[in-house]
Amino acid sequence: MHTFFLGIGFGLVTSAILALAAVAVSLQLSVTNFINFAYGDYLTLAAYLAWSFTRAGIPLWLAIVFSGVLTGAIAVIIHILVFRRFMRRSVRPVTLLIAGLGVSFIVQDAMVIIWGTEPQRFTTTLGSARQVGPFLLTPGDMIIILTGAILLLGLHMLLAYTKFGKALRATSNNLDLAQASGINVERVTSITWFLVGVLTVAPAVALVLESGTLDPTTGFDELFVIFGAVILGGVGRPYGAMLGALVVGLSTEVAGMYLNAGYKSSIAFALVIILLMFRPSGLLSAAGKTS
Amino acid sequence: MYFILDLLLLGCINAIMAAGVNLQYGYNGLLNVANYTFTAIGAYVAGVLTLGKAPQGTSWIGGWSLPWYVGLLGAGVAASLAGLIVFLFSIRRLRSDYLAIVTVAAAYIFYNWATADQGLFDGGNGIFGVPYIFGGSTITTNEYAALLLIPTGAILAICVWLSRRIFRSPFGRLLRAVREDEVVVKAFGRKVWHSQLKIYTLGCFMSGLAGAMFVFYITAWSPSAFLPGESFFILAAVIIGGTGNYWGGVLGAFVVVEGLNELTRYLPNFGYPADFGAGRVMLIGVGLLLVLRYRPEGLFPERWLHWYERRPVTLPVTLRRRPLPTAVTDAEGANR
Repeated sequence: MHTFFLGIGFGLVTSAILALAAVAVSLQLSVTNFINFAYGDYLTLAAYLAWSFTRAGIPLWLAIVFSGVLTGAIAVIIHILVFRRFMRRSVRPVTLLIAGLGVSFIVQDAMVIIWGTEPQRFTTTLGSARQVGPFLLTPGDMIIILTGAILLLGLHMLLAYTKFGKALRATSNNLDLAQASGINVERVTSITWFLVGVLTVAPAVALVLESGTLDPTTGFDELFVIFGAVILGGVGRPYGAMLGALVVGLSTEVAGMYLNAGYKSSIAFALVIILLMFRPSGLLSAAGKTS
Repeated sequence: MYFILDLLLLGCINAIMAAGVNLQYGYNGLLNVANYTFTAIGAYVAGVLTLGKAPQGTSWIGGWSLPWYVGLLGAGVAASLAGLIVFLFSIRRLRSDYLAIVTVAAAYIFYNWATADQGLFDGGNGIFGVPYIFGGSTITTNEYAALLLIPTGAILAICVWLSRRIFRSPFGRLLRAVREDEVVVKAFGRKVWHSQLKIYTLGCFMSGLAGAMFVFYITAWSPSAFLPGESFFILAAVIIGGTGNYWGGVLGAFVVVEGLNELTRYLPNFGYPADFGAGRVMLIGVGLLLVLRYRPEGLFPERWLHWYERRPVTLPVTLRRRPLPTAVTDAEGANR
C-alpha cells in the first residue's frame, strides 16, 4: 500500500506537468485544428531560455516569466511565418502536421547550434523530500502541483469569464460562424499561440527541474505522451486534456512502481490505443475534431 | 572509394524504405509516422534468424544461423505482421493525423519493449556480430559493401517495379481514389478498408526488407539505431521527392537523406561541434516547408507519370495481361 501511495504522489507531480502541456496543446488544437509536431521543441526552447536567463544571474521566477513571454512571441512568429500561410490556403490537416514536422527540424537544430547537444544541468535546491499525508514529496513537487492547479484555474477563468475566452471558444467551435459574427479570428489565433507559448514555460521548467538535465530532445521525448493525454481526454477539449493528463500521469507512475521502469510510457500509450478502440473520440469528445 | 560505396548502399536502403512509405502515403494517403520502427523490426528479425546462439552474457531469441535469404524474407514477413497489428488496432475511426499519433504510440511501445526486455533482443545493448551474407570472414569491408550493393540494388529495383505495376493497375487507381475521396469510393461499393490494409502491409514489408539489408551491412542493431525521429526523415524524403510518384520517393531518399544528410557532413560545422551535424537537419526542415508551400506535389510530381504511363507500353507477350484502357487511365485523368 505504501508503494501505491508513493506512486500516486509521483503521479500527481507528473499529472500537473502533463496537464499544463496537454492543455496548451489542446487549446491550440481546438483553435487551429491541426496537430503541432513542433510543440515538443517549444517545450525544450522554453526550458533552454529559462536556463540561460538563470545563468545570466536572473532569479528563477523572473527567468520563467521572461522565458514565457519570449516563447510566446516565438510561437506567434512561427505561426505568422509558417502555419498561417498554409491555413490561408485551407490545406488538409495532414499537410499542417508535416509542416509542423519541418518546423520541429528547424527549431531543434537551431537549439543544437546555439546550446550544443551536451546535456546541461538545471536544478534548484529547495530541500529534501518529506512525508505529506501518505505521499512523499519535495517542496519543489508541491510548488509544481500548486502552480499547475493555479494556472489551470486561471485558464478556466480566462476561457469562461472573459470576452477573449468567449471569442476563443466561438472560434474553436465554428471558425466560419465566428468570423461571420465579427470576431477577429486572426487575432484570436495569434493570441492563442502566444498563450500556448506562455503556458509552455511552466511544464517545461518543471519537467527539467524534476529530471535535473536538459538537452535538445528533452521536450520531443515527452511530445507523444502529451499527445496521448490530449487524445485520451478528447481532442479539442481543454478540460478533457486535464482529465487525460491525470489518467496518464497517475497510471504511468503507479504502474512504474510495480513494473520495469522502461515500460512506464508504454502504459500510457497502451491506454490510449485501447481507449481509442472503444471510444474513438476520447473521454470528453468535441464534435468535428476527430473525424 | 568506401565513401562512395557507403553512400550508394545507404541510399539504396533508404530508397527501399521510401518506396514503402510512398505506397502508403503517396498512393493511399495513409500517414505512417513510424515507418522506421518496421525497418527496425525487420533488422532485428533478420539479425536473430541469421545469427548463431547468443554468446555468454548476452541473450536473444532465435539464433538459428539460417541462410540470409530466409532472414530477409523473415524480416519482411515480421514487419508486415507488425504493420497488420498496428493497422487492426487503429481501424479507421479517426482522422488520419490522429491515426498517425496512434502509430507513433505503437512504435514507442515496441521501442520500450526492445530496450527493457533483455531476453528478446538483448535490451539496450542490441544484437551484434551478424555474419556477412557472403564472402566468409576474409572479405574486406570495401569488397563486402560492393558485393552487397548487388542484392540491395536488386531489391530496390523489384520494389520500384512493383510500385509501378501497382500504379498502373486498377488496384492503384482504387488506392488513389481512396486518397482523394474515401466517401465517393465507398459509394461505388468498393472496399476501402480492404485496399488500405493491403497497401499498408505491403509498405511495411518493404520497410522490413530495408531493415534486413541494413543489418546485413552494419552487422549490429540496437534501440539507439531507431530513435523515433528517424521515421520523419524518410517521410520528409518522400514528400520532398514527390508523393504518389514511384520515382519521387526513391530520388527523394537519395537527394534528402543521402545528399543533404551525408554529403553536408563534410561541410564545416558552425556553433558547437555537434555529433549529428547541426544545420543539416535544419536544411531538411526548410526544404520540407518550401516544398509543401510552393510545390506540394513534390519535386517529381505524380502528374508526370500520368503523361508517361498513358502511352501504351509493349511488354513481352508472356507478361502481357490485359490491354490498358485508352480513354481514361485513372481517376484523376477523368477530371482533366
